[in-house]
Amino acid sequence: MERELTDSISRSSARPVPGDARLRPPCEAACPIHTDAQRYIQLVAENRPADALAVVRETNPLPQVIGRICAHPCEEACRRGGVDEAIAICNLKRVASDGAKAAGMGYEPPQAGLTTGTKVAIIGSGPSALGAAHDLALMGVASVIFEKQPEAGGFLRTGILNYRLPKEILDEDIDYIRRMGVEIRTGAGVGENVKFEDLAEEYDAVLIAVGLSESRSLPIPGVEMPEVLLAVPFLEAVNAGREVPGLGKEIIVIGGGNVAIDVARSAKRVSGGKVTMVCLEADHEMPAHDWEVADARDEGVEIVCSQGPSAIVGAGKVEGLQVKKCESVFDERGRFAPTFCETELSVIPGDTVIISIGQMSNLSFLPENGPAVNERGILIFDREQCTTTRRGVFASGEVVTGPGAAVNALASGKRAAIAVARYLGVDVNFSHEPVAIAGVPAGVAEKVKKAPRRKMPARDAGERLKDFGEVETGLGVVDGRCEASRCLLCGGGARYSQTKCIACLTCVRVCPYGAPWADKDGLGGIDPDKCQACGICFTQCPAKAIDLTVLSEEDIAVRTVAALKDSGGGEVEFGCWYSQSRVAPGAGFVSLPCTSRVSVWLLLNAFEQGAQKVFVSVCSEDDDGHFVHGHRQTRAAVTDAQTALEEAGIDPATIELRMEPELKCKKAGQ
Amino acid sequence: MITAERKKFEEIRRMTDGAGNLLVVGCNTCVAVSLTGGEKEAGLLASQLRLARRKDGIGGSVETVTVLRQCENEYLDSISEQVEKADMVISTACSIGPQGLVFRYPTKAVVPAMNTNMMGYVKEHHVWTEYCVACGFCIIAFTGGICPIARCAKTLLNGPCGGSQGGRCEISPDVPCAWQEIYDRLAALGQLDTLKRILGPKKWNASSSGGPRTMRLEGFKP
Repeated sequence: MERELTDSISRSSARPVPGDARLRPPCEAACPIHTDAQRYIQLVAENRPADALAVVRETNPLPQVIGRICAHPCEEACRRGGVDEAIAICNLKRVASDGAKAAGMGYEPPQAGLTTGTKVAIIGSGPSALGAAHDLALMGVASVIFEKQPEAGGFLRTGILNYRLPKEILDEDIDYIRRMGVEIRTGAGVGENVKFEDLAEEYDAVLIAVGLSESRSLPIPGVEMPEVLLAVPFLEAVNAGREVPGLGKEIIVIGGGNVAIDVARSAKRVSGGKVTMVCLEADHEMPAHDWEVADARDEGVEIVCSQGPSAIVGAGKVEGLQVKKCESVFDERGRFAPTFCETELSVIPGDTVIISIGQMSNLSFLPENGPAVNERGILIFDREQCTTTRRGVFASGEVVTGPGAAVNALASGKRAAIAVARYLGVDVNFSHEPVAIAGVPAGVAEKVKKAPRRKMPARDAGERLKDFGEVETGLGVVDGRCEASRCLLCGGGARYSQTKCIACLTCVRVCPYGAPWADKDGLGGIDPDKCQACGICFTQCPAKAIDLTVLSEEDIAVRTVAALKDSGGGEVEFGCWYSQSRVAPGAGFVSLPCTSRVSVWLLLNAFEQGAQKVFVSVCSEDDDGHFVHGHRQTRAAVTDAQTALEEAGIDPATIELRMEPELKCKKAGQ
Repeated sequence: MITAERKKFEEIRRMTDGAGNLLVVGCNTCVAVSLTGGEKEAGLLASQLRLARRKDGIGGSVETVTVLRQCENEYLDSISEQVEKADMVISTACSIGPQGLVFRYPTKAVVPAMNTNMMGYVKEHHVWTEYCVACGFCIIAFTGGICPIARCAKTLLNGPCGGSQGGRCEISPDVPCAWQEIYDRLAALGQLDTLKRILGPKKWNASSSGGPRTMRLEGFKP
C-alpha cells in the first residue's frame, strides 16, 4: 500500500517561492525535465523512499535508469556547491528507487486509462521514445513503439554497458511503461519489415525518435583493415554478449567523449589487454564527464590527449595508429576547428582500433514525400512544436537535438508528447520554465554547517574489471539520509504574507542569516537566496504573517495528529529528520527538518490534540544544531510551553527536551 | 509604540469564571509589534485557556480572532459574528481595545488580558524604554531632545537632583539620570546656554489630570 501523501513535502503542486512563482531551486531549473529534486531529497532524508520515488516519477519515466547514468546538470547548479560540495542528487534518486524496491513499493504503474481513442506510432525505443510514450499514456493517448533491435531501450541497451546500467534495471523501467499500456514491438525495423508510409496511414500521429544509431568513421588511410572497428557495433556486440571479431589485446580507442569512455572500459573488460584512448582535446577539454574519465583511469585505461589520428598503420593488419600533434581544437568562437602540427608525428602501437568520434542517425526509411531533411541529411524540425515538415509527423531526441545526455533525450520526448497530444486535441500546455534561486551569498555560506558529500561506494577497480557487474553499489539508507540532509531546502523556507505583515521587524532581528528585510515604509520581504528554512522567524512572528513553504504550521499540526494516532498511547516526539535519531522510540514521530521550527503553539496544540507526553529532541548541547541558533529557539519554545502548561495547571514535565546525538555523528565515532 | 504586558494567566482565568463561550481578540498593531498581544499571542492564550478548562472540566468553546487595530470601530465591527457567539470577550490589546469593544458591544462582557504600561522606544529586541507620557505640551526642544517628564523619576524641570550619582538615577543603577543626559547632550551640541534660559511654567492643562482628553481635527468631514 502506498502511504498517503498529506503535506507540502508530499504534495505534487508546485510550491510558490516569495516574489515569483517560477522561482525554484536551481537543481530543478537546471534539470532538463525539471524534476523537483529538493522534494524527493527531503523525503529520502525522512526515510520515505517510496514517497520520494513517487516524486521522481512525477516527471521522470525512467527513474532507475536516470538515477544511475544521469549527467546530472542539477549537481552543477546545486547551491550547496557554493557552501562546500554539491548534493549527490543523482545518487539520491537511486537511493529512492532502491529503497522503494526493498520495501516492495512504488513499482505499480498508474492505470492511466487510454481514454482518448487515439494512437501514436513511435519509431525507436530509446529514452526519448520511452519518455514520450509514458507521458502520452498519462494523457490518455495510446502508443506503439517500433524497435528494430530484439529488445527495447535504444542506446540505453546497446550503448551503455551493464557495469553502469544493469540490464535488469533497464528492463524494470521499460516494463513499468509497458504496464501503463504502451505496446512495444521489437524486431520491427521501420524501413526494413515495417513501412513508414503504413505507420503514417494507420496511426493518428508518428513520432520519429530513432536517435543516433550509426557510428561516424574517419577518412584516414588504413580504416578498411578488419581490426578497425566502429563504436556502435562494438558496444552492441559486447552488450549482446557476442564475440567481437578482430579484437586484439592492444586496443586503441579514438575519441574523447562519454561513448569513447564506455568503449574503452568495455574493451578493457572484454580483452583483458591494454587499452589506450586517443583524443584531440587536452585533458581539461575532453568532452567526457570528469567522473567518467576518472573511472576509466581507475580501471587502467590510458588516455593520450592532444593527438589527432592521421593513419592506421600496419602491413595487412593493424600495427598501430599514427598521430599528429593537435595544437588547438576550437577556434576563437568556440567552434570545432582543430589545427595540427603536421610534422610532429608519432605511432601508438596497437593491434585493434575502435573509432568512437561521434554518431549519426539513419533516416533512410523516410519516404520521398517527407518529412524532409536538409542538405546535410538532418531532419527539418520545429523546436517549439516538435513538428517536421509533414503534418502529423513529429520528432524528438538525439535525431533532432544532436548528441547529449539521456535526460536531455527524455526531456525532448516529454516535450514531443505534449506537442503530439495537443495535435490530437488533448487540452494540455507546455509548462513554464522555472527560474533558479540565486546562489548562496558568501556571508550566508560561511554560516552553513559544513558536511562532506557522501561518496558513492564502488567495487574495487581490479575486482570490477573481471566482469560486467554494476560498479557502483548504491549509497544505502544511512549514507543516503546523511547526504539528503545536506540539501539546503532552497526556497522551502519562510514565506510571508504582505497583507498580514505588520512590519514589526521581528523577523529582521531574529534571522541568523539576514534574509528578511524592510524599508522605511515597512515594505519588505524575505530573500530566498539567504533563507535557510530554519523556521526561527516563523516561530517568532507576532502577527502570524510568516509560514514555511516546506512543512507549514498546518502540515506540522496534521503530522502531530497522525503521530498521536500512530502512537496510540498519547506520546509524541518532535524530532529532526536530519539527525536520524529518536529520543522516544515508543512515541509517535513528528518528523521535521530540525526542531528549530517547533513553536510554542505547536507544542500546546499537541496537548490539545490529546498528547499526554511530548518529547522534543535536539542533537547537540550547543546553541545551533543544524541551523545557527536553532537549538536556542527549540529550548526557548520548550521553556515557554512548559510555563504555559504550568499556568494552566498541567505538569510542565509532560514536555521533555532530550538530547540525542545525530546517528551519523555516532557512526563516525564522535 | 504602546506596550502592554499580559496579566498572569491565573488572573485571566479567574475573570472568565462562570463564562461559557470565550472569544480571545488579538490586536495586530502596537501590542503585536511589542510582541505580547498580536495574533500569535492571542492564539497561545486561547490554547492555554482550552487546556486549563479541559483540565478543570469546564465546558464551552474558546475561539480566537485578531483584528488589525482594536481602537477603530470598523475593525471591531468586522468581528461582530464571533463576538455575538461569545459569552465573554477577552482582549489582548492595550486598554483601549477592551474599552472599544465595550463601546461597540455594550451588552457583552469584556475583560482585559493585558496591563498597559507605556509608550516605548525599542532599545533592542525584547527591550522597550518609556520616552513619552503624553503630557500634552512637548518641551524637548529645550532639553536636548530628551524628555525629563518621562525619563526623570521626579519629573523635574530643573534637574538634576542630588540623587543623580555618576550619571545614574538613585532609583536604580540601571536607570540613567535624564538630566545628566540632557546636560551631556547639550554640551556635545555646544548649546549649554539653553539651560540658562528662563522658561515660563510648563503648561499642564493639556495633560491627563483634567479628565479624558479628546482630539478633534478640522477640515473635510464625510
